[in-house]
Amino acid sequence: MAKVLEVKGLSKQYKKGVYASHNVSFDIDEGEIFALIGPNGAGKTTTIRMIATLLQSTEGDATVAGYSINDNPNKVRECITYLPDEAGAYKTMTGTQYLKFMAGIFAPDKATANEYVKNATEMCGLGDRLSDKIGSYSRGMIRKLLLSRAVMSRPKLAILDEPTSGLDIINALEIRRMIKELAQKYGMSFLLSSHNMLEIEFVSDRVGIIAKGHLLEVGKPNELKVKHGVGNLEEVFERVVKDSEASDIA
Amino acid sequence: MKLLTLLKKELRELLTLTTVITIIGSVILLVALGSVMDSAMSEIAESGEDITICNKDTGAFSGAVIKSLEEADYNVKLVDLEVGDYASQLNELDIASVVIIPESFSASVENILSGELNTEGKITPVDVEYVSKMTSLSALSNVDVGSQMALTAIEAAVKSVVYANKNMSLAEIELIESPVNLIETTVVGTKQEQVSSMLLSSYGMITGMIIPIVIYVLIIYSSQMIMSAVSTEKIDKTLETLLTAPVSRLSVLMAKMCAATIVSALFAVAFMVGFDSMMGGMASGVAGNVDNSVLDKLGLNLSVSGYILLGLQMFLSLLITLAISLILGALAKDAKQSQTLMMPITVTAMIPYMLSMFVDMNEMGVVKWILYAIPYTHTYIAQDNIIFGNTGLYVGGLVYQIVVLVVCMTIAVRLFMSDKLFTMSLNFGEKRKKTRKKKSPLAE
Repeated sequence: MAKVLEVKGLSKQYKKGVYASHNVSFDIDEGEIFALIGPNGAGKTTTIRMIATLLQSTEGDATVAGYSINDNPNKVRECITYLPDEAGAYKTMTGTQYLKFMAGIFAPDKATANEYVKNATEMCGLGDRLSDKIGSYSRGMIRKLLLSRAVMSRPKLAILDEPTSGLDIINALEIRRMIKELAQKYGMSFLLSSHNMLEIEFVSDRVGIIAKGHLLEVGKPNELKVKHGVGNLEEVFERVVKDSEASDIA
Repeated sequence: MKLLTLLKKELRELLTLTTVITIIGSVILLVALGSVMDSAMSEIAESGEDITICNKDTGAFSGAVIKSLEEADYNVKLVDLEVGDYASQLNELDIASVVIIPESFSASVENILSGELNTEGKITPVDVEYVSKMTSLSALSNVDVGSQMALTAIEAAVKSVVYANKNMSLAEIELIESPVNLIETTVVGTKQEQVSSMLLSSYGMITGMIIPIVIYVLIIYSSQMIMSAVSTEKIDKTLETLLTAPVSRLSVLMAKMCAATIVSALFAVAFMVGFDSMMGGMASGVAGNVDNSVLDKLGLNLSVSGYILLGLQMFLSLLITLAISLILGALAKDAKQSQTLMMPITVTAMIPYMLSMFVDMNEMGVVKWILYAIPYTHTYIAQDNIIFGNTGLYVGGLVYQIVVLVVCMTIAVRLFMSDKLFTMSLNFGEKRKKTRKKKSPLAE
């Protein structure tokens, strides 16, 4: 299967010796949902932002559909969409105006833009509320709108930072289902980040455990559970982090 | 096409219903204020015909003076006041001012005519009392032209009687009254006209207030607008979405700059119209005394090219403001901090604004160089530089503003092109938390 994303030794150093993300390497296949899991401050968002071309890496590189984030960020942007953690939308616009605006930015022509708007309108399920100002939306509605925007162009790689953060159970479940459906139906690849490991266990094909900027282990959730002899990903995470600390001390 | 889409979005964000209402409301308010000022000036002019006199004198002379005032078409109102508590009497009769001719008025005039000397060996001058009521600290509310005219008329009447008694001819009286014929010439740059410089100064002071006010409002409004737009986008993380879209970062930056410029320009035009109307109302009293052709000849009315040169400096100030605001807005952590970060712009815009209304900044010795370092100063003094032919200062200011703009734009573009946009923020007044390594309880 073709690799949509290949990350090789990606690092971000803010001060000398202080790494937010250090020597991170992993890859994502076409149609695969890959999740970076770890606690707050582990380096998930920094890694994701580098891949999304928002931050420049200090070492290493990543390629999206063969384009380097360091050498060809504009081409990378044509292949990805990015949904930041707790992102908002333009409150003075209606849902439809927002989708039209974003489609105008992402689409190469008007006909494609209309198609993107149609895709997003169907997917978000907001119906008539799309003609209301975004300022009147609930958090769940905004997240659905933003997720629909992120996938309306059917990008090769959708990067979603904490996609269900702050949402209630029903809205979170709906979003997880949407992600799975899109990967299966359109062969889209997803790079997710979350500190909610139970959610990731449900939605992702493979996970990468990240802590203190280091990617400690990568694998399928079930394989990792078997490997570490535990019942869920939270326990896998605990084991992996403790093993890592123990090897550091040794 | 994408730049246009971004520009439309920025305009939609900036030109909200609230903004449009603010612009239209400001113009209506200023025009209304102009109309109020105009009518206040007209009222003062009309009140110049109203004279209130309290004549305590029973002699013929005071009666003759009052008659002469009535014949000169003044509306003379005679009242009877008790000497002493004027406050209650003026309030009771609703009179703003009154000229009180004392009981001894005619007798005093007779004494002058007879050459009678007082105990000090001098001729006693005629007493006339003037009482006026102050109702406000505002300049126009206490102006009472009518009563002042009455005092002048009384003085003139006494003088004419005295002169007549000395057997002086009309020509001699006129000569004594105006022994010096002042021929005043005012020079402006290389031009000169026979006109009072005081009159021109009064006119210039009022009309010269319009441009600085518009510049100040333009700087503050555009700064607030772009800082709020950028910081909101950063806080809401909509900027992150935009900057990962297949559109150049320069387009995102340019769209914001262009939209803010368009909206600010609209605001500037609206304010210019409003202030022009308001100041027109204020200046109507003074302007009536100044011949417009004299102003044209002296170059005190800006020509089309003058307005273009002034507009160029205003535009540069606007662009500098937008570039600085972009940088500061991008560094703001939240909406509250974005307001605080406006302080440097507000202060640097206010200092030359206040000074430009009262002093000539070009004549301020060493201080002028500090003021010249503020890029906005050159826009505030542009009108003076154009009118008074200070070409070197104008061009120097223009070049300096272009340099400042290039520097600010370079910083803004670099900020938007780099990841500092997301990794840098200003922490004013926040103490850096020092984290000390604590011993783990498990280690004990």
